[in-house]
Amino acid sequence: MDLTDDIELSEDEEISVETVLKSVQCAWQNERLAPEILPHRNDMIECMLGQIQHMERNINKLPKTDLRACIHKMELSRIKFMICNYLKTRLHKIEKYCIPIIIAERQRIESGANYLTPAEFKYAQEYSLNMESHLKSAVLAKLPGTMETLEMSKLAVYPNLQSHVFLKANTAVKGVVLEEGLGDQDVEIELENGSQHILQYKPIAELVKNGKVLLV
Amino acid sequence: MDPYEIEFIGENRVVSIIPNFTYEKIYLICGEFGPFRAGLPMNVPLWLAVMLKQKQKCRMVPPDWMDIEVLENIKEEEKRSRFFTKMPNEHYMVEAKLILGNAPEDVPRASEIKTIIKDIWDIRMSKLRTSIDTLMKSGGNYGRLDHLTMMEINSVKPLLPEAMDELYRIEKMTQKTMPTSLNTSTFSQSGSSQNL
Repeated sequence: MDLTDDIELSEDEEISVETVLKSVQCAWQNERLAPEILPHRNDMIECMLGQIQHMERNINKLPKTDLRACIHKMELSRIKFMICNYLKTRLHKIEKYCIPIIIAERQRIESGANYLTPAEFKYAQEYSLNMESHLKSAVLAKLPGTMETLEMSKLAVYPNLQSHVFLKANTAVKGVVLEEGLGDQDVEIELENGSQHILQYKPIAELVKNGKVLLV
Repeated sequence: MDPYEIEFIGENRVVSIIPNFTYEKIYLICGEFGPFRAGLPMNVPLWLAVMLKQKQKCRMVPPDWMDIEVLENIKEEEKRSRFFTKMPNEHYMVEAKLILGNAPEDVPRASEIKTIIKDIWDIRMSKLRTSIDTLMKSGGNYGRLDHLTMMEINSVKPLLPEAMDELYRIEKMTQKTMPTSLNTSTFSQSGSSQNL
């Protein structure tokens, strides 16, 4: 009985957990498919994790063989899988594009529009420092003096924003300007609601971030 | 994305089952389902349906479109049309695979249905290959793919987007080296740039 009562309470919040779950799924999908790191959605993730903990406490009160417990556990495993995969994808991108991400993030923090959570930013900085000291101790220290300088900026790996992605429009968007490869003139296209396209990531990067399109 | 991840997303779709037990409403994070009444059809997410089926706690109700006549029509329409037709369901392949795989005895004429769905998939895939061929030959960097389902889109990844990336790179390179005409070094340059 506890189980149902508590869940009903959470529905009184302004946004239902159901909506949060859906947006977590969209965030996961976009993060998996976008070439660059996207703004974090920590608020939703925290909310979901809180919900999971809460549910788990309630499930433990139920007998192990209870059918409801099995169903709830299964659902929680599914959500946990999604959140883990989402966070891992972000960490993977942070490691790969560490240097440009840190530089861009410093500017973004000044304007208050940070993409990384504080924990992720700390991780990025530590990762970059560790990589630097590792390269120094493993290679550079053994080279003649003149070659010992290390320019981290030359090690930077940049995401390919020109890569092509598949997307589905969530609303109608007008005036998406595509950069033409050979021709000199740019082409402008319109994304109808619900239509699907393959195009370069760069012109639609903003639309992914503000949720007007979903990468598929 | 891996096909199993697409399947994971498809498993969130709601399908109909007939439970063989009675239980009160269940409040899941993804919504409330129930109450379960033995013998009465009700809606649950696909993952839950599969789970209950595996525990032999329900029968699956095949979706409306999982019917020989409907599917024959879709197949004909797909053959006739130059473009992709709208599928009855955004995740028809996932649903078909899971329902027919876990509960073939709940679907009348299951093996025939399986064949038709496979036929539809094959027609669409060959159409997709033809359109990709046309797209690549025209050197396009943009394409519209209405009515393709996620699983179908995923089946041409990473080939299509990467081929388009490559094409774009070559075009950029030729633009840069245009005055000296297109020569072999252009290609070796564009080839090496992918390692950046």
